[in-house]
Amino acid sequence: MAALTMYPENERLAGGNRAAFNLYVISAVALFVLMMLLGLIMRMGQATWLAVQPDLFYRILSMHGAGMVGTAGLATTAVMWFFLRAHVRLHLWAFVTNYVMFLLGAACLIYAIFVDGYGALWTFLYPLPVHGMGLWSPDAAAVFMLGYLLIGVGMLVFYLDAAAAIIKVYGNLGRALGLQWLFRGTIDPDHPKTVVASTMVIISNVLGILAGAVVLVMSLVNAFYPEMALDALLAKTLIYWFGHMYINATIYMGVIAVYALLPRYSGRPYPISRAFLWSWAVSTVFVTLVFPHHLLMDYALPRWFAVMGQLVSYGAGFPVFLVTMYGALTNIYRANLRWTMPSRLMVLSLFGWAAGIVPAILDGTIRVNLVMHNTQWVPGHFHFYLLLGVLPMALALMFHVIGQRAGALPNSAADRLGLPVYLIGGLIFTLAFLDAGHLSVARRMATHLPEWTGTDKVGSIGAMLVVLGMLYFAVRITVGLLRAPARGEPDEGPANTAG
Amino acid sequence: MKPSAGRWCLAGALLWAALALPPVRHALESAMTLHMLVQIPLLALAGAWLAQGTPRWLERSLAAWNHRGISGLLLASLAGLAWMLPLALDAALNDPWTELAKFLSVPLLIGAPVALSWPRAGFVVRGIVLLELIATMLRLGWLYLISPERLCSNYLLDDQQRLGRMLLVIGFAVLLILVWKLMWGHVGGHATHDD
Repeated sequence: MAALTMYPENERLAGGNRAAFNLYVISAVALFVLMMLLGLIMRMGQATWLAVQPDLFYRILSMHGAGMVGTAGLATTAVMWFFLRAHVRLHLWAFVTNYVMFLLGAACLIYAIFVDGYGALWTFLYPLPVHGMGLWSPDAAAVFMLGYLLIGVGMLVFYLDAAAAIIKVYGNLGRALGLQWLFRGTIDPDHPKTVVASTMVIISNVLGILAGAVVLVMSLVNAFYPEMALDALLAKTLIYWFGHMYINATIYMGVIAVYALLPRYSGRPYPISRAFLWSWAVSTVFVTLVFPHHLLMDYALPRWFAVMGQLVSYGAGFPVFLVTMYGALTNIYRANLRWTMPSRLMVLSLFGWAAGIVPAILDGTIRVNLVMHNTQWVPGHFHFYLLLGVLPMALALMFHVIGQRAGALPNSAADRLGLPVYLIGGLIFTLAFLDAGHLSVARRMATHLPEWTGTDKVGSIGAMLVVLGMLYFAVRITVGLLRAPARGEPDEGPANTAG
Repeated sequence: MKPSAGRWCLAGALLWAALALPPVRHALESAMTLHMLVQIPLLALAGAWLAQGTPRWLERSLAAWNHRGISGLLLASLAGLAWMLPLALDAALNDPWTELAKFLSVPLLIGAPVALSWPRAGFVVRGIVLLELIATMLRLGWLYLISPERLCSNYLLDDQQRLGRMLLVIGFAVLLILVWKLMWGHVGGHATHDD
């Protein structure tokens, strides 16, 4: 069993690694603040507190959706890279290529939306992108889709480099997932959970990106040759395979931070188990097949497709979720946890994941989906698990790293104030969405009926608090990363001594 | 040049010549499916075998321009792009000069560069090429199936749609083989990683 060193030597950031990590993290936190501000503008517009024209609303919504998903991918890729390089040899050029491609892709999205007026949302559902009704041209849609392609190729380069490195050490992806220990054999206690999770993400998200690469190019063909009419349902299916997988991968990349850091803060080992390996193996298959739960209302699809969407929906998230929750809670139970920002954020992320998954599973049930699918219940669910689940996982690593730079684990009075502001704001914001869903408030609407604005106003107040909290985190993390590293190990506080 | 290279080179030349024989050429160009899925891949294979006879000095000087096989694979992709266009297939049937261009460019600009570049390529480059190949087959298959009209004036719509279905099947088959190999197979050991 590996020793519980707070800052192991093989995770040290120096030279190019440090520069690249800083670029990822500082870009991610800055983008999170900007995208949250766009979200706040939309909620205030719906609340009638701010005049937002519908055409601008849909452009902002397009930017917010694509930008948030991309930024969550960027931040959690940094998490996966940070921990995976301690076990296998990753190449810095692949990590940097992904960053450069992300920036190029983001530039395309920004140009398409704010210069060319694209407003057909992140989903680019055929044939809407090429029917801008005078608000945007097919060229704008093409630039938007080109941006997605660039981001996808960058991600692919990073995943392929990671796959090559994993295969070099473990022989193949099956062995890296620990499939050889599913039924028999003594599990290697040093087999890294980081490798298992990374392998699962590589397999499932490469398949998702492949689906995206097919439908994006086909949509581009249609943009330039409209006579090549696509099957709208097939295009939607592939888009949701790609989109769902991409955003789902962020939680599985982010949770690596919990696996790696939680034992260091609790002072207790977090051993690998057969149940853990089973859960990740099952999720590898199910997460790849779960996307039809976005298509439950598409009656023209085969019945078995909808049934698979519902059944797999129950099975995809649960195994990893249950095993992680059980493992994490038993790890911190009576462990005299060192309560600093990273550990607080990790516990928050477990809550966010646990609570955020409930509305998702409900909405993945056909009878519920029939009523809730086009209501604000859906943004309520994914904002819950992204804002209070995925983002805190990435933030936990960021605070952990700045703790090393500062020479003390982050736990200032401002930190202790900033986190509750973010948490309370996040809860108000997401519960306002869920309540709006309960009240049948339609989602993706620029203008709301007067009866709907109550939850919009409450949600706006929550969003303001979230932006404030995130702004504080962004400044704190950026300043922390840019300072010179402290000499020696940081002061780890009186509670536990890791090692 | 390896000792067996001469034999491969000869096999490549024979295959190329056999494909150029009028009865073989007419037979393989009689259907769009045969044209695209048999004749063109065999021409590329002939080029790959011919490339085994590349002299060491030429291979060394080409290598300087072919870092990790990227230039060669890019050249092959661009040449392949041209021969994926139905317009190019049509032109090859209608115009002898275009036919000659096909018989020269597919072996020399697709088969040979791939043969010279693939061993130099690392896991990431190979991965991107294979995934793009799969994606291209799926896209082309889809396009041939949905096109409301004949894309090649020399071939019938049902032939075009048959080609579309076969491209989809081949695309999925290659994907399954890749997934299987990566999950359970032995993946080339130390040579796989771009060190």
